[in-house]
Amino acid sequence: MRQNESETQVAVRVAGLSKAYGDLRALDGVSFEVPMRRVFAYLGPNGAGKTTTINILCGLLERDGGEVSILGRDVAADPVLVKSRIGVVTENSNLYPELHCRRNLEYTGELYGLSADRRRSRAESLLNDFGLMDKAGAPFGTLSRGMKRRLTIAAALMHEPEILFLDEPTTGLDVPSARSLRDLIRRIVGGGATVFLTTHNLFEAEELADEIVVLIGGRIVERGKVSDIKRRIGGARCLTVSFSQSVSGGDVLGVCPAIRNAELQDGALKFEASDLHDAIAQLVAFCNKENIRMNDIGIREPSLEDAFVSLLAGAGKSDGKDRP
Amino acid sequence: MIQLARALAISRKDVESYYGKPPLVTWGLLFPAVLILAVYIKDRAGYLDVAPGIIAMTLLFGNTSMAAIVITFEKRSGTFERLLLSPLGMGTIILGKALSAAAYGIATSIVLAVGLKACMGLPMARPDVFIAGLLIGSCVFSLLGLIASVMVKEVFEAMTLMNFFRFPLLFLSGVFVPFAQMPGWLKPVAWLSPLTHAGEMIRFGIFGETAFASPWVPVAASLIMFAAVCVLSGLSFQRYARR
Repeated sequence: MRQNESETQVAVRVAGLSKAYGDLRALDGVSFEVPMRRVFAYLGPNGAGKTTTINILCGLLERDGGEVSILGRDVAADPVLVKSRIGVVTENSNLYPELHCRRNLEYTGELYGLSADRRRSRAESLLNDFGLMDKAGAPFGTLSRGMKRRLTIAAALMHEPEILFLDEPTTGLDVPSARSLRDLIRRIVGGGATVFLTTHNLFEAEELADEIVVLIGGRIVERGKVSDIKRRIGGARCLTVSFSQSVSGGDVLGVCPAIRNAELQDGALKFEASDLHDAIAQLVAFCNKENIRMNDIGIREPSLEDAFVSLLAGAGKSDGKDRP
Repeated sequence: MIQLARALAISRKDVESYYGKPPLVTWGLLFPAVLILAVYIKDRAGYLDVAPGIIAMTLLFGNTSMAAIVITFEKRSGTFERLLLSPLGMGTIILGKALSAAAYGIATSIVLAVGLKACMGLPMARPDVFIAGLLIGSCVFSLLGLIASVMVKEVFEAMTLMNFFRFPLLFLSGVFVPFAQMPGWLKPVAWLSPLTHAGEMIRFGIFGETAFASPWVPVAASLIMFAAVCVLSGLSFQRYARR
């Protein structure tokens, strides 16, 4: 394994990682790299092996095989050093409910060996940055769910980690809190940290991630940039057209070969377009010929969710043989 | 030194969060004080015989219970995971957790002894041995509580597990019947109990006499048991952390 990976711009390198719980293979030869100063999303359905991977990367779980390098170090061989350079936010906001917010941050700083002055200044700065200054003296247990989440992330940033692991950061948050948290994550990356994000929220992954890996059944089934995966897996673009008079899907499909799968939806016809330019040209020709006008036309790109569903469907057909 | 500072930070936080709470301090003092008072009311001279055993019992119950409750509670709330994710050696976590529980046991026992001395004339022949008994005993009992805490999931399971050995120990370790007055066949069993040796050190501290040939016997036995529970707690925590 290469040393000094921070110099080579790789934050996390995983090669052939495997882990089994009895007969269940939770991870089966997983390999990926996370570049520095990027948001890397690790996606997968429940039971895919995401939490197992994070627990191994953070030194909470022993691996059965493979290599794991965090900033050029193996967490199993040098856990204290690696843990001092990463921050971890688990799925639950797990600060101490009886301690007030400032004390929670300062205590975290003590565990990471920050000096008293540094602890005070970091706590002050993070409370300010995360909009929690007016709650500095309130016990953590009395905060709203969104505030708890923010303070938990702030605590993980006390020692200015180079990599931040975020496990389902917006689960259970209302829309404004989730949006505000996504802005925070962008700021964290803007500040120079690498974010390793696991989430079920595909919109969130699409919004934040530079690169994603999709894990199903302990194996990586897809990886790459969000736009590439959407284009590759997400399928055709959708056209939604409303006409000046009633038109059936069959009428259009018969004369527009670039269009398929017509479906009536909320008074408009929804099509899949294999080629957008040809599809629109053929639709215009159809309208001119039939003396119909198009009142409205909408184009929707395939989403990451479409791609994810396709991957799950594909995995459902081929998987299940190796996993008990 | 860096890890020691972090262990002290863990202890300070635990005292702040759990051990320093007035209800807990009151309970830790009231329970043994009332027990001794009950014996005193019945037999004004005889209470002295049971005082060392009751102080040792206070250490045993206070330290094992609190150490186990705190960690089991933190495991459930997810805060214990924060320690495992922090740059701390396993020894640092064990030391931090054990120190706070031990400090609680030592503080309540000293306050109890000072109260008994002031109100009931409890003698104190060798305060140094008395303190040593409290120190070593509380460390052994705290570590036993920590070991129990990583073997279970719920607080009630920890209590059940510990009561399984704590209550028999009360009758096997010279708390109510001094070691010297035990039947011969029971003495080898009592020898294996850490409560016997903590109790004998406390007894020597109070009266200046011991049932053993020398006061160094319970000191040495306690230190051996301390070393054993240190190793055992290290192995238990390593196993838990890599579960």
